[in-house]
Amino acid sequence: MHKTPQVNEVNEFIEIASDFEDPLEVIREALSNSYDAGATQVDISIEQDAEGRNTLIIKDDGHGMDEDDLSSFFDLGNSNKDDAIGYKGHGTKIYYKSDKIRVETVTDGTRIESVMDQPWAKLNNRELPTYSIEETESDEPSRTRIEVHGFRAGQGFDPRQLTYNKIEHYIKWKTIGGSTAWHFGDDFHEMDINVELSPTIDDTQDQIETDNRLQFPPENRHPEGEFVAEEMCKHYPPRELTVTLDDGRELTIEVVGMVGGKEARNKLPTYGKHSAQFGIWLAKDHIKVERYNDAIGADNEFFHFFFIANCQDLELSANREKIRNKSGDVYQAITDELNRYMTKVCQDSWYRNYIERRKLENKQRSIQSQGSSLEERLQHTKDQGGLSPSNPAEVIAALERYSANGSPETLEIADFRLDEEVNAIVDTDEGYKNAALQAKLSDFFENETPLTHIDRFICWKLGDRDALTKIERTSYLGKPIRFDFSNNEVTYGDENKKTIPVLELADKV
Amino acid sequence: MVSFDVVAEAGEARRGQLQINDRTLETPHLFPVINFYGGGNEGALFGGGVHRTIKEFLAHDNEVTGGEDYSDLFNGVMTSISSLADYGIREKKLEWYLDNEIREWECFSDYDGMIFADSGGYKILKQGGLEGEDFEKDIDQDKALDIQLDLGPDIVVNLDHPIHPDDEFEERIEKMEQTAVNAARFAERRDEVDGACYLTVHGYYEAMLERSFDLIEDELAEPVPEAFDGIALGSLVPRKDNVEVLVEAVSDCKREMQQRGYEDLPLHVLGISGNAMPLLVAVGADTFDSASYLHQAINGKYCVNLFETVPIDDANFDACECRVCNDDFHRARMRNEMDDLYQKDILGSVAAHNLAVQQRELRKFRQLIAEGDKERVAEYLEEAVKDQKGFRKFAYQLINERINPYFEETDTTYA
Ligand SMILES: [Zn+2]
Repeated sequence: MHKTPQVNEVNEFIEIASDFEDPLEVIREALSNSYDAGATQVDISIEQDAEGRNTLIIKDDGHGMDEDDLSSFFDLGNSNKDDAIGYKGHGTKIYYKSDKIRVETVTDGTRIESVMDQPWAKLNNRELPTYSIEETESDEPSRTRIEVHGFRAGQGFDPRQLTYNKIEHYIKWKTIGGSTAWHFGDDFHEMDINVELSPTIDDTQDQIETDNRLQFPPENRHPEGEFVAEEMCKHYPPRELTVTLDDGRELTIEVVGMVGGKEARNKLPTYGKHSAQFGIWLAKDHIKVERYNDAIGADNEFFHFFFIANCQDLELSANREKIRNKSGDVYQAITDELNRYMTKVCQDSWYRNYIERRKLENKQRSIQSQGSSLEERLQHTKDQGGLSPSNPAEVIAALERYSANGSPETLEIADFRLDEEVNAIVDTDEGYKNAALQAKLSDFFENETPLTHIDRFICWKLGDRDALTKIERTSYLGKPIRFDFSNNEVTYGDENKKTIPVLELADKV
Repeated sequence: MVSFDVVAEAGEARRGQLQINDRTLETPHLFPVINFYGGGNEGALFGGGVHRTIKEFLAHDNEVTGGEDYSDLFNGVMTSISSLADYGIREKKLEWYLDNEIREWECFSDYDGMIFADSGGYKILKQGGLEGEDFEKDIDQDKALDIQLDLGPDIVVNLDHPIHPDDEFEERIEKMEQTAVNAARFAERRDEVDGACYLTVHGYYEAMLERSFDLIEDELAEPVPEAFDGIALGSLVPRKDNVEVLVEAVSDCKREMQQRGYEDLPLHVLGISGNAMPLLVAVGADTFDSASYLHQAINGKYCVNLFETVPIDDANFDACECRVCNDDFHRARMRNEMDDLYQKDILGSVAAHNLAVQQRELRKFRQLIAEGDKERVAEYLEEAVKDQKGFRKFAYQLINERINPYFEETDTTYA
């Protein structure tokens, strides 16, 4: 005896519809369906009632649906489309997550009106929703109008987030509205897309008017001027790459893209976090799915690039958000070939020139800011009336001037290491001495540096005498210390007292 | 009589015919390094372990070759005078070795390829001369040439002082000056050479090479092309794994030769082979020499192609088109399936295969250049490096900038 596994249709519908969380996905489905219906114009409007519930209305001038098509529209798992963007007939089930679906469609002289009431509530009552059909004759040209009332967004989705910016970005990044198919010719037809939001959702701008072509910012290969890297932009024209798998199957990868600076990239219809939008996209049906920035290699930064590599052999998850066949040899072959192609782009002379240019301009900018910081320093120096050391290196300069001006003793730097506690060895009349060079003597004690190996202090100024007196009154590293400002000496320790001479240069230079 | 005729060009790559007396060599060509003298006697082809097996291939020893003729692998070979003392021989033996030219020995009398006798500069200078069991010989330019000539060579090269990437500037200049002095002395004796005289130059980039050439020209009594028949670029072995440096050095050397009007001389790259060869041919190198085919075999490695080796036990002989792998006799040897096989027999067959792989690539390249089609050369290179991630970058750069740009400036219209 054979038994057929039973499908719980209600659960199936719930699960499929639940995969979709974002009302924007309704727009994606609608655009794909309209395109597949041969539409040249599709208008989408989103209205919002007082309770914040959304109604989506999608109108197109496609070939419309007959009764069979309508069954497919509502049924599960029997898409009428071959080789179209819809997959497994799941797409339209996204509409089930709503209070009401109304379809009005005209095809071949017949107008059908169909309504499904409370699909989501019924499914959740374990009941399969039904739809009405009313046929009349009509001499109108073919068209379809779909209304979805009260679409249920996923948890955490706020309908107020539906702004024109966000929708336009979504259309251009995640739907057929951002298709790169037009670069490759075959089967492409143009479709104008309008989207209008009710003013309660977004009243900041007029409706979106776009089409189903992703356009790159205009080329600007060799702009003139001092700082132009950000404007630079080059298109990398469509290329078909083919790879042969071990089993002899041939894959085609259609890749097109651009390289450009920030200003050029800003002309793309992006929204939000730019870093998540550039790089190398893998696409199916010429719609971007996931990025594969590894193709660029570690020596290059992904954000200069915007490439779309389409391959129909990629398989997607039901909600089209992810590539499903990543572990297979198909994906491996696609990414390998893409790596090779991107290596070529990275070795293109224009690209290398662009990166060089960018580096050079960044250097020039830093030279400019260095210039202004030097000016500041110059002003500061003038204000101080000449030398005013603020670091040990400048103390050396002061020391040199002191020696050149006929100091009573020889005092020359024999060795200097900026980062060490005892940062200098000085050559004196009594031989080599370990010295601590400080802009201010008080800084030395602030750092609690041991005095063990110090024979001399050389400083520009004593600094904060109060701070030194405070140390004198407590102790330094557990032992008594005395600052004798009149004799320029530091004495340290109890039984084995150590006296360290201090040379203060400020009043001697 | 020496002549070098360029018969075809594809971009900067060229196919040539090097004619020395009555021997002709098709270029680009790889001179495998052969140790003719490995401490033994004539009956054992002077010994040398795996080196001996290779000589048995070269001398058509049927027991080793399995009856096949492999002489096409050895159309031109490189040998170095420094290898003469590799086996700690006595002075008497050295003298005996040098009593006859290589081809005067009965066992090598059939060998009809070219013999390139290197001065062994690097090794000799490092050891301070030639050192055997009971002798130490200081080697200067004159002594080096004497020994080279004793071998009966077709090509000789001056005793050079190779530079090193870590050399201080002064040290490098000193070495280059010594090389230049040697080159001048070598040129004075060129009448004694019944074959081609090559001049060594050194440097990793144009400024260094310019200096190397300048110093030599200053020492020479006549123009370089009158004194020499070829240029040998040395000192690259320490950078052999850095293909970017190799390409820059060879291509800058080529440019320097062009500017000085030496572009008709063949350019030999000392001590380099393997994966860099196609790229170096693409920028104008004509010949190479290397012992890597042997060292790989000695280390148990079987070449799959110019880039990859696998342990001999993992080798798939069916996938190789070379005659060694297509001969059951050698397969049995490489798999160690025969009785009483010495390690040298197993490894000798592997070395012959490794060499065959490299020679095959150069043969393919020669054919491509003969077609004179830059695009085909670019395609070949691209295919060769397609799975070599780090290497690919430099190869693609070279193809893009020097052979066939990937994205032409006019390439803007959409389909
Ligand atoms: Zn083989």
